[in-house]
Amino acid sequence: MAEKKKAGKSSKSARKAQSPAKKSPATKKRSARSALATATSASKPVDERIQAMTEAPLAVCAEDESLQKMLNVLRNREEPIEVRLAALQSLQAASFAVLAFESCRADYIATLRELVEDPDPELRQRVLGILARENDGFVQKKLLEGLKKPGKALVPPEKALQLLSYDVHSEAYPIAREIVKNPPSSEAKREALRLLSADPAAVPVFEKILRDKDELAELRQLSASALNSLRPEKLQEHAREIVLDKNEYDDIQAVSLTALTTLGDEAEVTGDAELLKRVDALKGEKSTKVKKSARRFLEKYGE
Amino acid sequence: MKVELQINNSTSTGARFVGWTPSPCRIRMTDRSGATSLTVNVQITARTTTTGGAVVFRRGTTGTFSTSITVPVPITGASVPFFIAGRFGRPSINNGDVTIEARVGTTLVGSVRCMVRVRKNANQLTPGERDRFVAALAQLNNQGLGRFTDFRDMHTNVSSPQAHGAPGFLPWHRAYLLDLERELQAIDPSVSLPYWRFDQPAPNIFTRDFLGVSDSLGTVQFSPTNPLQFWRTDGVQGINRRPFFNTGTGAPSLRTEAQTLAIGTTYSAFRSMEGNPHGSAHVSFGGFISSIGTAARDPLFFLLHCNVDRLWAKWQRVNGRFDPALAASYDNTPSPVGHNLPDTMWPWNGITGGTRPPTAPGGAMASSPSATAPGPQPRVRDSLDYQGIVNLISRLGFDYDDVQFA
Repeated sequence: MAEKKKAGKSSKSARKAQSPAKKSPATKKRSARSALATATSASKPVDERIQAMTEAPLAVCAEDESLQKMLNVLRNREEPIEVRLAALQSLQAASFAVLAFESCRADYIATLRELVEDPDPELRQRVLGILARENDGFVQKKLLEGLKKPGKALVPPEKALQLLSYDVHSEAYPIAREIVKNPPSSEAKREALRLLSADPAAVPVFEKILRDKDELAELRQLSASALNSLRPEKLQEHAREIVLDKNEYDDIQAVSLTALTTLGDEAEVTGDAELLKRVDALKGEKSTKVKKSARRFLEKYGE
Repeated sequence: MKVELQINNSTSTGARFVGWTPSPCRIRMTDRSGATSLTVNVQITARTTTTGGAVVFRRGTTGTFSTSITVPVPITGASVPFFIAGRFGRPSINNGDVTIEARVGTTLVGSVRCMVRVRKNANQLTPGERDRFVAALAQLNNQGLGRFTDFRDMHTNVSSPQAHGAPGFLPWHRAYLLDLERELQAIDPSVSLPYWRFDQPAPNIFTRDFLGVSDSLGTVQFSPTNPLQFWRTDGVQGINRRPFFNTGTGAPSLRTEAQTLAIGTTYSAFRSMEGNPHGSAHVSFGGFISSIGTAARDPLFFLLHCNVDRLWAKWQRVNGRFDPALAASYDNTPSPVGHNLPDTMWPWNGITGGTRPPTAPGGAMASSPSATAPGPQPRVRDSLDYQGIVNLISRLGFDYDDVQFA
């Protein structure tokens, strides 16, 4: 979906506007009802409305009228975007009080679904995130559709993959594999790999990346970790090979040493003379990361 | 001549941890050679380093503390009680950085090393404290295969009514944190849960060596030496967290500590902090932490809640609200099951079905070598008197660096 710019402040400046330490006169104590009245009044200054919204999130559900007013602010594209984002945050905060929020939940979720195609990219992304974390089937379908047909995408592919990883379904795997093969960006490839880290059939994908010294260190790190999770019995083997490889990159060696220190099989590691000797030598490496991880390894296993 | 020093009434090394709350201790003679009378006066003091913890002593449950006490110890081997507490403002940095010494005259007749272990501001941890915490947490998670899975499964949309939106919000989370902390301490006893003081900038928390740095997408990045890079929940690698404030210089926009403590002097009023600052802190990010069902997938969740609990502890101290029998200490309006003072709390009670969730992950509350409360199936009321101020036996075995005893 094309990202339309709304008149007024952009989402970025809206985010900035929500930074703390903005102590308006409205910070003085007032009742929850009065705070809500200020928050939903279009005639009040924006800063004051935002401040009021942070004051009493639980009061949103005190009366049906309050909830509807807040939802109207959120829906209304004529409202300043920073006010709409603050309304969303206030409703989110209120949703943490599950029992109190129960009567509001249905209207809240229905409103969020109305907003998945909102022209403001920041609001859209936040709404999609909330619904994705609720394992919302409607949103999952939209995200998958956007990955298959980029013209219909609500968010960039890396974001869609990240949101789909909240509740991984096997239908997402084929498109994620495709993105790993032909990534539109390195972030998309990384997020596709993260999603695939739940797929036991993806082991060969991770093995290939791990062995490929031309891959980004971040992706190899992720692959090593994913492989260790998908095949826990392989942790020792993979990490050991990397540590023993004198031509391996520092970052990957540090990752492997950290894996062995934190998650390794103590009996197996302490009985591995070749590995211990190699790590002892790594103590003197130039790389701070390798030295640090070697030192921690030896504190646990070697001394 | 030799004596045995029992910290927290135990000879176990796992029990040699104290906070600001007085720990019950005992001393008894194990070798009476050289004794010339039926009792021997033993002086108990402590030795520490310049940066180490400091402790104080007293003979009974009341009275002032001092840096040294003299205890008449019978030569029969019968033990004599006394109390040790950390000196407020002087927590330990490393396990065993305080040595308790027993002397007869100038002769050392017994010693044990211990630690003043309290929950600290995560932004001020030493690199060593930070690394030990992170390593223990990563080990508990064990790439999604470890005991952490139970903690993740305790805090979901399904179980949420047991813990949110009613008076039991604070007691339930106190028990939840304690359970997790005890599991961490089973891995590394020097670890305590740090808190994220969310009303102040905390740049040292959001680093690659600690809880990670979020990229523009909200994917959290770690240094190659940080074991949290292997963090895995719900079968998926990594953590999503997108801050809506500058984590390097700023803090979320929410009630400050002073404003929170001023909410009101009754628990019924104070518990509105569940919305602000608690809820506000959660939603100052996008990602896992901003929704109830996924919040516990982010390690930051536990630091956030540790601060929520600390605020309650501070409020309790300011207002004297430790006694469950005092109306202002709790909201006694009849509430859903799990939120009333006498109710047992899920999942530790193992009750499933009906008004409780369908499963009870994790089993009973973890035990601790240094505190007997709250027992395997804590009730709501067991969370209140966490320092054992009303009843010594109720102490839960944790303290906050800036919340004094009594």
